[in-house]
Amino acid sequence: MTVSIGAKFGNSFERWFERHLRVLMLAPAMLVLLTLTIFPSIYMIVAAATRISPNPDLPWQFAGADNFLRLLTDEQFHVGLWNTLVFTVFAVGTEFLLGLGLALLLDRYIRRLNFLKTILMLPMMLPPVAVAITWKLIYEPQFGVLNEIMFRLGLPLQAWAGDVRLAMFSVIVADVWQWTPFMFLLMLAGLASLPDEPYEAAAIDGASAWRQFWDLTLPFLKPIIAIALLLRIMDTLRLFDLVFILTGGGPADRTKTLSLYIYQVAYRFADPSYAAAISLFVLFTTVAFSTWFIKRMRLAD
Amino acid sequence: MAHRRKSIGIQRIAAYATIAAALVVTLFPVYWIAANSFKYDIDIFSIPPQWIPANPTSKHYHAAFVERPFLIYALNSLIIAVSTTLVSVVFGSLAGYALARFQYPGRWRYQISFWILSTRMMPPIVTIIPLYIAFNHLGMLNTKPAVIIAYTAFNLPFATWMMKSYFQDLPVELEEAAMVDGDTRWGAFLHVALPLARPGLAATAIFCLIISWNEFLLALILTLTERSQTLPIGIAGRVTQYNTYWGEISAAGFTACIPIMIFAFVVQKHLVRGISFGAVKG
Repeated sequence: MTVSIGAKFGNSFERWFERHLRVLMLAPAMLVLLTLTIFPSIYMIVAAATRISPNPDLPWQFAGADNFLRLLTDEQFHVGLWNTLVFTVFAVGTEFLLGLGLALLLDRYIRRLNFLKTILMLPMMLPPVAVAITWKLIYEPQFGVLNEIMFRLGLPLQAWAGDVRLAMFSVIVADVWQWTPFMFLLMLAGLASLPDEPYEAAAIDGASAWRQFWDLTLPFLKPIIAIALLLRIMDTLRLFDLVFILTGGGPADRTKTLSLYIYQVAYRFADPSYAAAISLFVLFTTVAFSTWFIKRMRLAD
Repeated sequence: MAHRRKSIGIQRIAAYATIAAALVVTLFPVYWIAANSFKYDIDIFSIPPQWIPANPTSKHYHAAFVERPFLIYALNSLIIAVSTTLVSVVFGSLAGYALARFQYPGRWRYQISFWILSTRMMPPIVTIIPLYIAFNHLGMLNTKPAVIIAYTAFNLPFATWMMKSYFQDLPVELEEAAMVDGDTRWGAFLHVALPLARPGLAATAIFCLIISWNEFLLALILTLTERSQTLPIGIAGRVTQYNTYWGEISAAGFTACIPIMIFAFVVQKHLVRGISFGAVKG
């Protein structure tokens, strides 16, 4: 069959290789991912069920559900959970509405979008660190651009990321700046793939633009909307870089997310057992939500 | 009729105005970090802000890349990003092809694909503590291989899904023809499918490069020494409790953005497929 060298050993190896090609091609990726997910998972479960002494020579003590029970009474954890949820709902919600609105507008009125797309996609590709310090510079209360604009408009100056009331808002604005293009581009791709016929039929029936949007566009876009929301929510639930640099979780823990809290517990309070318990909580919540969402939106088919 | 044309005109103007606003809002922060990186400190702090640098200077670039070790950080970032990308694209192409082309009993194709994607659902903060401890035991903290291994875990699912989606789009007949002509399946993959998937390979590689170049949390935890830290960590390190070195971080931050801007331009055509893991065709 083969055109290659017909040495007996080479031939039988080749046949073996060819017969198991499916497994052999999957193996490297699967092995890497198995090692790097199974080991951490086992470690997390063991660590969460024990009390790890800061002294590495002392043995771990079995703690049962203690670390998980702490979640119920730990106010800092509740604050982190609340902040993460508020951030996710408002950031992803705003990005979705803005992105969809922009896409509908541009799809209708602008024909050649390539150059525009290239520019609009810049923010989400930039290093989050650079994004965070840029916004830190814009929010700076003394010499920042935003307060200059407020001053020109005759509005009261604010401390923005340093203000207890405005800190979360400031973080959300920076995230919206970075990720609205993501929603916009996905919605635009969805709009480009819409079939023409139903719209022609609807136009003949005299359906209003609003009805067409509600009855045709939205249902057609549903799978893409679902994917876009899922990917964004998975990202916002793990938000770290932006708050770490922009606010450090402050002021008064107003922007402390769960990821930031886990980081503090593990590295500043040196309590890996409790950090593991919180991590497991985050992991289960994320996986449960994603699975429910994928089933609900029928993304798997 | 006249009324109708007029209202469309107004809508069109509104559309163009919205686009103009979106462009300004999108570009201003990028411009602002660039502008500040070329200003003297006194101009950065000036009130009202100096919209265009009046006395441009490369002082902060000199401070960051000559006086401070940002050149080492940038080199580390480059080495780590390129190595991670190589491993991810090679393993991802193999697995992506296997998932796109071979037969599987029952729902195994779906199960394996979903499992690979699900490893990406793990928030990095969850896996990083065990990895930190493992690398600590192995004496690999503060080394590039540790960071490369950790990054591969996050890039591989992405590379696999993207390559799977590109292979699925190739007509299977060409590979079948090669096999009828006596080529093996492996040969068909190597000589037919892989060359045809070149645009996909390039797009996947660039996305892996961007993700690794930008990554922050894993590098923050796995590296503590100057010799092993990456550019994002070096930049964040200049935001201290007592002082923020605006000029330096602007210079380093803008430098970190430049390769990304070039990549973004190159990968533009594949962008939508890339950012959606191949789930949406660009």
